[in-house]
Amino acid sequence: MKIAFTSTGTGWDAMIDPRFGRTDYIFIYDEDTQETTHIDNRQIVNVAHGAGPQTAQRIYEHKPQVLITGNGPGGNAASILSQMDLKIFTGAGGMTVRQAYQAYQDGKLPQGT
Amino acid sequence: MKEIVIISGKGGTGKTSVAAALATIASQTVMADCDVDAADLHLILKPDTRQSEAFFSGVKAVIDPDKCSACGLCEAICRFGAISHQGMHYAVDRLACEGCGYCHHICPVDAISLPEQQVGHSYISHTKLGSQLVHAKLEAGADNSGKLVAKVKKDAKELALKTGMDYVWVDGSPGIGCPVISSLSGADFVLLVTEPTLSGLGDMQRVHQLVEQFKIPAGCLINKADINPEVTDRIKDFIQEKGILLVDEIPYDEDFPHAITLGQSLVEFNPAKWRPRFDRIWQIVCKELT
Repeated sequence: MKIAFTSTGTGWDAMIDPRFGRTDYIFIYDEDTQETTHIDNRQIVNVAHGAGPQTAQRIYEHKPQVLITGNGPGGNAASILSQMDLKIFTGAGGMTVRQAYQAYQDGKLPQGT
Repeated sequence: MKEIVIISGKGGTGKTSVAAALATIASQTVMADCDVDAADLHLILKPDTRQSEAFFSGVKAVIDPDKCSACGLCEAICRFGAISHQGMHYAVDRLACEGCGYCHHICPVDAISLPEQQVGHSYISHTKLGSQLVHAKLEAGADNSGKLVAKVKKDAKELALKTGMDYVWVDGSPGIGCPVISSLSGADFVLLVTEPTLSGLGDMQRVHQLVEQFKIPAGCLINKADINPEVTDRIKDFIQEKGILLVDEIPYDEDFPHAITLGQSLVEFNPAKWRPRFDRIWQIVCKELT
């Protein structure tokens, strides 16, 4: 299972970025290979409009099966993400990536659509 | 550090009056004015600017007259009628150009560039109350964007972390578009300020769809609650159905316009009357955040 997190940094101890579209990084953990990687999304700061759909596109290219974030994507981003087989879990704002992964495994994060 | 967004959907509900009153009593708070199209918190908080930064957003076409072969293709394809023949070559009307970039891509001699536009400034200021305010000012005709709101919020959060503040209060932008999404994104609590008119109710319902999508807990303040009891009841039905906390109902009060006329917050205008009320609202919101 490939899991993507919206994060403010590139490691397990980085904080979750509660924002979807304007998240600084997307941290990806592959449970099968136990490898981590990240997408640097910081150039999104230069995008005036449509940040959500652009970030959704970037996530789409990496094809994770799970997304863990804070508030969850807005309407336009959600409609792009709905095109892929992706489960979205929200409510991880204020946690580190590690804590968010634990909370997800413990079934403590609400699942969005 | 917690982030609270004040938002209304409809204009004229008293959102900024509420934001300014809360700014007057709030301690441990950085205010962020993200209503950048018509920023007005500074009229009451009278900030003394400490830092200013030019803000760039969006592009506009510029034609290099030395390269232009005057073929006229750009004028023919511009949907906004922004390009016309002037003298020996073509030129762009900056006000009409929407920055779509079609002309840039189609120009056979690469004479058209798309430089990023400076559309305003963002500021970090100290208010007359001694608190900190992050705000921005756009040039005439420039539009607010998610980018600018994200910038104002980022500066406010960094300032709060740096100075050890517990709260960032965001005066949100109107409507439900990109700047509002950017205002709401990352928030811990939303205070919806509405009024009992049909558009007050309708616009609050629309903006609440966004709040719901982002799964942010919300409270509602009904201003001018006595001007139409029937619609006030409908607002209450709606917020009950949606699990929104009723934070307060404030009757119509001419102190609102009078205070603004004097450039004061309600709490400054009549402390005996308004301070206890906004202290209570502040307590209710803080309780929801813990």
